[in-house]
Amino acid sequence: MSRTNNFAFKVLSIVAWIIFVGLCIDAGGLIVNFIFSFSKPEMVKNLYQKLDLSEMYNRSRWAFYSMYSFILVISVLKAYLFYIVIRLISKLDLSKPFNSFVSEQITQISYFTLSIGLLSYIARETTKNLQHRGYEIDQLNQFWVDSQAFILMAAVVYVIATIFKKGLEIQNENDLTV
Amino acid sequence: MPIIVNLDVMMAKRKMSLNELSEKVELTLSNLSILKTGKAKAIRFSTLEAICKALNCQPADILEYIEESTN
Repeated sequence: MSRTNNFAFKVLSIVAWIIFVGLCIDAGGLIVNFIFSFSKPEMVKNLYQKLDLSEMYNRSRWAFYSMYSFILVISVLKAYLFYIVIRLISKLDLSKPFNSFVSEQITQISYFTLSIGLLSYIARETTKNLQHRGYEIDQLNQFWVDSQAFILMAAVVYVIATIFKKGLEIQNENDLTV
Repeated sequence: MPIIVNLDVMMAKRKMSLNELSEKVELTLSNLSILKTGKAKAIRFSTLEAICKALNCQPADILEYIEESTN
């Protein structure tokens, strides 16, 4: 493989690690806030990333917890997605890329990306519904503004995963051709 | 698999070891072993030619078709 490709993979690995750490910090902060919101409701006014959902909390606990659950699950899924990406990059052997492990990781990336996209889309529609009922939801839009991008990415990655599986079949057959 | 490779039978008839055959046909021991144990999915004509030349035999001496039972 060329030097440029190796360098690109190294840069990609570093960037993926940085994003993964950032997403873990986000997810961790949201989880801690979620746990503490049960015992200390006053924390709802000043949640992670300066989120103030006190009005929603006071109006409807169900709406607060369901919205917060969406935020939490999406942030955890995003962190796990980047964990899979890091695992793939770290174990990828560019001289022999077609193996079952890589194929499985790419397929998992497509499934998780689709899950994030669909959940974000459902959350966005739910917040629109809440907005019609008079809730203040402007602060929540930042968490699912990229839902369509994730769904598009999932479709592209799924196509790549399918092509990769075919490549793996061809390589296996080639390996067993004498 | 319906195609059976009788390489070991021919090698025994010609009193040739796997190492010798490997050197003559210029195929690695692992690839020959894949062929011998029936794990190969395909064989190139060039390989078949080299094996037939080394063992002084016909392709039919090495390859045999046995219909799979439907049970």
